[in-house]
Amino acid sequence: MSANQPIYIHLLLTAVIAAVLPIVLPSYVLATEILIFAMAAIGCNLLLGYTGLLSFGQALFFGAGAYAAGLLSIHYNLGLVPTILASILTGAVLAVIVGFFAIRRKGIYFVMLTLAFAQLGYYVAFLAEPITGGEDGLLDVVRPTFTIPFVTEFKFATDTSFYILTSIVFVLIFVAMQRLVDSPLGSVLKAIKQNEARAEAIGYQVKLYKIAVFAFSGAVTAVAGTFYATMLRFAPLSNIDIETSEVILFMCVLGGLGSLYGSVFGAIIFLVATDILADLWPRWMLLLGLLLIIVMLYLPGGLSEATQKAISKLRGSDIKKEGSHA
Amino acid sequence: MIYFLMGVGLTIIFGMMNFVNFAHGVLYTLGAYFCFQFITMTDNFWVGLLVTPFAVGAFAYLLERVLIRRLYKLDHAVQILITIGVMLVIREAILIIWGTVPKPVSTPDLLKGVMVFGDFVYPQYRLFIVAATSLIAVALWYLLEKTKFGIQVRAGSENPKMVSLLGINTERLFAITFVLGVALAGIAGALLTPIRGADAFAGLEALGIAFVVVVIGGMGSFTGALIGGLIVGLVQSFTAIIWPEGANVMIYSVMAAIILLRPNGLFGRA
Repeated sequence: MSANQPIYIHLLLTAVIAAVLPIVLPSYVLATEILIFAMAAIGCNLLLGYTGLLSFGQALFFGAGAYAAGLLSIHYNLGLVPTILASILTGAVLAVIVGFFAIRRKGIYFVMLTLAFAQLGYYVAFLAEPITGGEDGLLDVVRPTFTIPFVTEFKFATDTSFYILTSIVFVLIFVAMQRLVDSPLGSVLKAIKQNEARAEAIGYQVKLYKIAVFAFSGAVTAVAGTFYATMLRFAPLSNIDIETSEVILFMCVLGGLGSLYGSVFGAIIFLVATDILADLWPRWMLLLGLLLIIVMLYLPGGLSEATQKAISKLRGSDIKKEGSHA
Repeated sequence: MIYFLMGVGLTIIFGMMNFVNFAHGVLYTLGAYFCFQFITMTDNFWVGLLVTPFAVGAFAYLLERVLIRRLYKLDHAVQILITIGVMLVIREAILIIWGTVPKPVSTPDLLKGVMVFGDFVYPQYRLFIVAATSLIAVALWYLLEKTKFGIQVRAGSENPKMVSLLGINTERLFAITFVLGVALAGIAGALLTPIRGADAFAGLEALGIAFVVVVIGGMGSFTGALIGGLIVGLVQSFTAIIWPEGANVMIYSVMAAIILLRPNGLFGRA
């Protein structure tokens, strides 16, 4: 998109998405899950789609957010806002640490470093059984409550109320991140993606920017993890495994790199397809693999860019091919 | 030593073709299943072990012709994502064909015993693996360093365009290299079946280890894969004695430390 849309448009659009999802989908739980993973995919898109950093360790932040929320709610029960803030902090700090080391290397070594950190996290969580529950996961996670003093207390015990909470947070995060990528900082990130050496030469501290985007990505992904754990009332160890990183990456790529709406659609399509196919055929992942190959080969910009291209073709305008190096 | 075998195929493919193959792990698994299949069909372990690399190689050839050759020019990130897709497809296909329960393979009678060196006891089959892998390593070394094919491959890894200009069919060379790399993964899978069985979900772990081996040694370096394999093996054995659960933590820590200290691995080129 050429010009940045004003914030209220994004606010409106995401609110509409959040409002429509439970109407068209069979259950609030599925809709909640979609918004949660949409947040995770957005976190991944910040890195891959905007800055060109392929992180294979997003599950680390996702899992960390889940454990942070789980542990806080079980041991301290601080309430909603402190819990979310704590998970944002956990995710951001972890991401800064991972980012600090990983960005020293490029290409495949970068990918391997993010993977190595995620695997480390996995085995540490696995070994720290007294704290994390090890292989069994963290059980009995409590949904934090939101209290307005002297007025009322929201418990979010039902699927519907929890969905409303999730969608509020989703809309806020989406708008904040859209604001981020539209900001001057976002432009620098895109510059880094297009030509890192040039961005450096112009005088931007590329490394600082990369660490910053890691922090945002980690924070957003951790919030997603927090909601996942509170939705399930359970924080499984599998939150940190390679497969979770893969799924997040997949949604992000499927929807389209460099578009936050793309990530949301990626999550919708992935989870709805999973929901339908998983019942029909246990080996549905095979189709998923094929889809990934096809999307990467023929639609490097993902579904959102494909739609955009189709629209602008109808309008008769020309868009330059840019997405071949996703 | 088996870690070397997992890593070396990956490193040859990367070094020569600059291609990142995330499907490497699942091709290793495919080797294990092929081996299981041939052994059940012929009731002979040795036939299974010998036929598997060729079967996996043939499969790799098809894969290269249909899909992989389109990917050489693409970005590493795209290669990674597409080969993840390949990985999913093959893994699910394995589950469809052979079912979700891992298939056991028994150790051949000839190698069932243990060897005793003083007070050190070692299963014969594991010794056989070490011997077989060493043999393959030597053969590979000879192939890559002493034959015309090896010279072409090494030249291709330096500068594929130049090699192509010199009149060598690089497309064919790439296909052969890919097949060779994958066949090596297949051999690794086949050799390990008596110890680990054929398990469709073991591919990810194998991929992780193969990458650790290769990254430690330096992507694209033959010696690196050898040393990397040894380091991973040693680190794993030693931690297994001191702190059994921590073996994986140690492997990944060692890899992270090495990448950070030596950007291109121990033997990697810039």
